Amino acid sequence: MKSTSRAMLALAAASALTLSACGGDSGTDGGSDGATDASGETLTVWIMEGTNPDPTPFFDEVSTAFEEETGATLDIQFVPWASAHDKFTNSIAGGTGPDVAEVGTTWTPEFGDAGALMDLSDRIDEAGLADGYVGSVLDSGTVEEAVYGAPWYAGVRSIVYRTDLLEEAGVEPPTTWDELVTVGEALKESDPELVPFPVPNSTHTTTPFIWGAGGEVATQDGDVWSSGLDSPESIEGLTFLESLAGEHDLSTPAASTWNEADTRDAFARGEAGMIISGSWTPKSIIEANADLEGKLGVVPIPGQDGGMAPSFAGGSHLSVFETTDNEDLAWTFVEMMTTGEFAQKWGEQTGFFPATNDLLTQLEEADDPLVAPFAQQMKDGSATLPVTPLWGQVEGAQTVPAMMESILGGKASVEEAATTAADEMNEIFGS
Amino acid sequence: MSSPALGSARRPWLLLAPTLAVIGILLLWPMVRVVLLSFQDFGLRELVRGGAEFVAIDNYRDVLTDDRLWRVALPNTAIFALVCVVLTVAVGTLVALLLHRLSPGWRTLVTMSVMAAWAVPAVTGTYVWVYLFDARAGFLTGVLGQLGLVDVATQNLFTERGWFYAIATLNVVHHGFPFVAVTVLAGLMTIPTELPEAAMIDGANAWQRFRHITVPMLRPVFAIVTILSTIWDFKVFTQIYLMPGGDGSNREVLNLGTWSYITAMSQNKFGLGAAIAVLLTLLLLAITAVYLRTLFKEEEL
Repeated sequence: MKSTSRAMLALAAASALTLSACGGDSGTDGGSDGATDASGETLTVWIMEGTNPDPTPFFDEVSTAFEEETGATLDIQFVPWASAHDKFTNSIAGGTGPDVAEVGTTWTPEFGDAGALMDLSDRIDEAGLADGYVGSVLDSGTVEEAVYGAPWYAGVRSIVYRTDLLEEAGVEPPTTWDELVTVGEALKESDPELVPFPVPNSTHTTTPFIWGAGGEVATQDGDVWSSGLDSPESIEGLTFLESLAGEHDLSTPAASTWNEADTRDAFARGEAGMIISGSWTPKSIIEANADLEGKLGVVPIPGQDGGMAPSFAGGSHLSVFETTDNEDLAWTFVEMMTTGEFAQKWGEQTGFFPATNDLLTQLEEADDPLVAPFAQQMKDGSATLPVTPLWGQVEGAQTVPAMMESILGGKASVEEAATTAADEMNEIFGS
Repeated sequence: MSSPALGSARRPWLLLAPTLAVIGILLLWPMVRVVLLSFQDFGLRELVRGGAEFVAIDNYRDVLTDDRLWRVALPNTAIFALVCVVLTVAVGTLVALLLHRLSPGWRTLVTMSVMAAWAVPAVTGTYVWVYLFDARAGFLTGVLGQLGLVDVATQNLFTERGWFYAIATLNVVHHGFPFVAVTVLAGLMTIPTELPEAAMIDGANAWQRFRHITVPMLRPVFAIVTILSTIWDFKVFTQIYLMPGGDGSNREVLNLGTWSYITAMSQNKFGLGAAIAVLLTLLLLAITAVYLRTLFKEEEL
């Protein structure tokens, strides 16, 4: 028994060496990481649904390559974003988690800190990837030196608009907040049925206006975070956002219970003129409604008086669950997905940016009108939400959506709602 | 039969053992676990690493002193359940009386359509109602707008507590009345026809016959459907959670079920969530006990 496993290890080491040689890696000791001969074994992987409009061919290819390399089969399961957080929690409770899972960057610290995810820092160092991954994405999964997720992909939000409708209305895409209003009003005038700029309740469509006015979602002082939602700057930004729906009537009452996906659906149905939407969405919008092909444009979210309002740069890590039986196999998969060919392909197919520096540079230089403005926003106008294990609870409590829903529904003034939300956030932060 | 004394004492337990084991494992242990949890400070970390601390009644104190319990969750749960139970039993009884009078052919037809409402899964049913009341394109929102009850240009019904629960009530009653109808119909069929006939000869009208013959004879049936409806409507979760804002982004529409779930699962405060769940259970037990007692007292009189 012992001698066979040793032989396998030797085989594994050998194949890992060949692999890293192929990948052009240098200076890594391929002995302990990389491939294992694991024929007959199965690696269970949870992937978020909807990132790739048609993920089957991609994962078929990955499975084949993975099986060739390790002998093990992949069991890819798709999980919808909306229920993923609960599903993780439930699976941890029941001990039914996968070996590897895609984890949203804002959740990684929470699950990692709780002990559900494996610290990957040694493996990342060994693979020489510490400087290869995009820094901000790596940081968002790092708690006290422990890296709980390998950066897989990242995306950023900008304004996606209908070129044909703006042309009809005789306006150019907005570059300041005032222009956002004028463009919206012009769209409304040229087509009263249209929702020029829906204002949903989601966190990621709200924060650009907080950050754009100079506010913060939360700030860190030593170990303690405290909410910045009720600062004068944040309130100024939120008041402007509210005025888009209220005073300027550019939204629709229905939007107050919409999340980002609902908003995108409305846009895909041709009901909206401009929306804040992710770099990965133009493709799926066209997929949903082929009539929109060639009618989409992208512009960075305008700053108050020009420039850009930062938007949330979110993405996903691939994390290894602490309960996995096969750490080596899991890491082989993670490395395969997050670097090189498959990372690039995934980016091309989804519109997300790969999370390695090499691949990102390649994209910045490309000049695709549906990609370049996003890349610009990613480089110069992106921000992250507080990197703390407690942020997951704030998201779980839906603090920002609840604030927006009560503002948009006319239940509370901007000040009242912002103060309530800030109090709730501070209670979670324990500050 | 041949080995009386010893065997007869054990045999009932032996026969009951499989059932008791199944109930114990599937029903009692989870309940014990929830009660234990409700006395612990149990978060995600404890879930993964174990070692939860007992915090006595801290969780209960937190829940009972939370404004949200008294102003939002409890009234939403209790009033909603009360309205739903009354409407479900009333509609169900009326439909049963209708079915009772129909000829066999029509009865089959109507029963089948009633069953369809029952057969629709809660998730599907909820989405249908949400779709019908959608703020932009909902058919029923349009009708309400035409009637001048809703200002379609400015209102999103789901953000308003009253409307939200009105829609939820429609959903739950629509889903719940078939059971009542079928059960009451079964009861109606057991009433000997001589009784209403005799009453008719004595000059009793339809209402008097219903009040003085049907209701007393069907008391146990009404007790069952009312208790079951109360239990179902008190702990309704799916129908609320799946409506826009029901998953926690609209704090005004939380009920005890969704509040418990969101606290435990979305915020990882499992102890606190368990405490809410235990309180909900106690409340239900109390209501059922009081209801049963009044019912049987009346019967004794």
